[in-house]
Amino acid sequence: MKFKLPATMGSQYLVLIATIVLGAILLGVSSGGNFFGPVSMQTFFQFLAVPILIGLAQMITLAVGQLNLAIGAIGGVAACLAAVMVADWGFNPWLGGLVALVVGAVAGIANGILVVVTKINGFIVTLATMTVLLGVQYALVNTRTISADNWKSVAALGKASWFGLPAIFVIAIIVAVMVGLAFKFTTTGRHLLASGDNEHAATLAGISNDRSLTIAHGASGLIAGFAGFISFTSLPGVNQSVGGDWLLSSFAAPIIGGVSLTGGTVAVFGTVLAAFVVRLVDSARAEFQLAPAWVNLVIGAVILGTVALGRLRETRETAKAGMLRARVANHRINAAAVENTAAEEVKL
Amino acid sequence: MTHAASPAGAEKRRQGINFRRYLTSPQSFLVLIILVLVGVIGAAKPNAFNGAFVVAPLLTSIAIFTIVGLAQMMVLSIGQMNIAVGNMAAFGAMFTGMAFDLWDMPFLVGLLVGLVAGSIIGGLTGWIIARTGVNSFIVTLAMSFALLGLVPTVYSMLSPGSAFTSKPDGMEFLGRGTFLDVCMVGYCGPAAIPVMVVPVLIVVLFVGGLYARTKLGREILLTGANIKAAELSAIPTNKRVVLVHAISGALAAFAGILLATSTGSFTPAIGNEFMLQSFLGPILGGTLLAGGYISVTGTFLGITLALLIRRGLELFGAGVEMLNIFLGLILLVALSAERIRTVRRRRPVEVPAETPPDTPSEKEAIPSGASA
Repeated sequence: MKFKLPATMGSQYLVLIATIVLGAILLGVSSGGNFFGPVSMQTFFQFLAVPILIGLAQMITLAVGQLNLAIGAIGGVAACLAAVMVADWGFNPWLGGLVALVVGAVAGIANGILVVVTKINGFIVTLATMTVLLGVQYALVNTRTISADNWKSVAALGKASWFGLPAIFVIAIIVAVMVGLAFKFTTTGRHLLASGDNEHAATLAGISNDRSLTIAHGASGLIAGFAGFISFTSLPGVNQSVGGDWLLSSFAAPIIGGVSLTGGTVAVFGTVLAAFVVRLVDSARAEFQLAPAWVNLVIGAVILGTVALGRLRETRETAKAGMLRARVANHRINAAAVENTAAEEVKL
Repeated sequence: MTHAASPAGAEKRRQGINFRRYLTSPQSFLVLIILVLVGVIGAAKPNAFNGAFVVAPLLTSIAIFTIVGLAQMMVLSIGQMNIAVGNMAAFGAMFTGMAFDLWDMPFLVGLLVGLVAGSIIGGLTGWIIARTGVNSFIVTLAMSFALLGLVPTVYSMLSPGSAFTSKPDGMEFLGRGTFLDVCMVGYCGPAAIPVMVVPVLIVVLFVGGLYARTKLGREILLTGANIKAAELSAIPTNKRVVLVHAISGALAAFAGILLATSTGSFTPAIGNEFMLQSFLGPILGGTLLAGGYISVTGTFLGITLALLIRRGLELFGAGVEMLNIFLGLILLVALSAERIRTVRRRRPVEVPAETPPDTPSEKEAIPSGASA
């Protein structure tokens, strides 16, 4: 299994934390302290919940070496179905929220089963299911926006605050902790990482890769559905645009956070920190009243920089490891030579 | 059991004409479905094939999207992918629009400016992939982020209404003209065939010729089939990767410019719909995602089928949601078919597992079970 050295891991987190602190201070200064005001902070954390969740959803599929392009579509369908159920069919709002989770899990498991059964590239499978789900989402809500007034009891959760932080942010953090614990301490979590790192080795160790893929896609879908539920509780209304802009940021968080695309690694803390960075860029954009397009430009550049730097470090590390190995080998040969000559001297 | 479609150009080895091979190929299957669809639509709506109003726009969009499909197919041929195909189209078209609007260039020069811009951004992407060895998916995804930010920003800075609307001579003719406008010795062509078909056909032949007739094309395919073998055969694989991405960028830009000429203005929204279609065409047509095998005709037929379905659904009054659902399902079904084909093709030669576990696998297109 691929374990990153704690030192490099620490330095990456340090860079991310430093970026966040520096960015927050800069924003605070340029807004004359308004950024740290209670209202501004509340909004900042409130809109951080969804980026964290979709980043985690993507991270789980990346852990097994897969991709999930359908995250936004799954979340969108989950939110829209919940809204339609509550507003049009008169269901209990909490039941609607539960359905959102179920929809997410079912869609994710369907992705996993399709990948396993057809052996098609996960990219294409999720591209196809994304298209199908976008169609379903549009069919559900059409062009209307369903107002959150229909589910006041659930919407209260979106506005509630626990321990001075928005409730939905706290929930997202709880989910992140649970995902982190699952990867660290459960057999299933370790199996997922093993399958992602080297499927042949995993097979030889008696791990079912098919099971790992299905579970990873299912969990990814479940969290995407949960992100849909969070949107359902916190947005003023639900329409067909929910989930539309999740695709890119879902990749941004894990990649900046240090998750490798080839599978076998997770970085829950890194993903959460990276979601902070992305959110900061968005806040800065709002603060300086720039066009929304700037966010994409900056995040694109950051991703490219991150992967290039990560790659550079990896090459350096392998080079270092190679040198070390060569030195050890040299040493052994020398030691053997010394012993031989010593033995010969004794004979003489 | 033929090895006809095995990677790296074995199909050129003429092993005698094998009709069964042609009949069971995905291309002939696509032709069959297209014919059936045309028949069904024609029978249900007899006036559906009105030349000037239905066939000409359909052919125009087939022409544009065939180029989009080829842009993706080029990159698939080396086992990589280009997520930024739509954004590169927007980027190239933006430069052509600037050339017309700000620099008052004539039509052909502006077209060239756009193509060069597209190939530069594509080449840059390819260079990053080759230089860093990072997965093409991530690099092109990040590039699409960056361009998604850059293009609207430039438009809003340089043009009043976020669009370049100058129309130099020739733009209208290429974008909206049909052969009705082309008169020779007192006889004019049919109104059903747009002028755009001609340059597109030339480009298609150019790409087809590149793969079928040139050493360069063979080398690109070998790079896609097995990059290590290619390297050992003294092929400069990094250069080929950069070149392929540059051509892909130029093709994407060409498609974006064509779309702009047909709608009449250059806007940041160009290329929004390109991504899904760009994968749909090549994959329906039998191009392998793993690289090393392509089909230009298949790409054209795949695009034709997808657009015919779209047009058919529109004619029958189905909404945009049905269209998405259908396209997604078609992609899944077609790919399951591809899977069955690959399995059948690979059975006679027991191919060992794709890469030894201890080699770095970052250069693989997308890690997944598909290549196993």
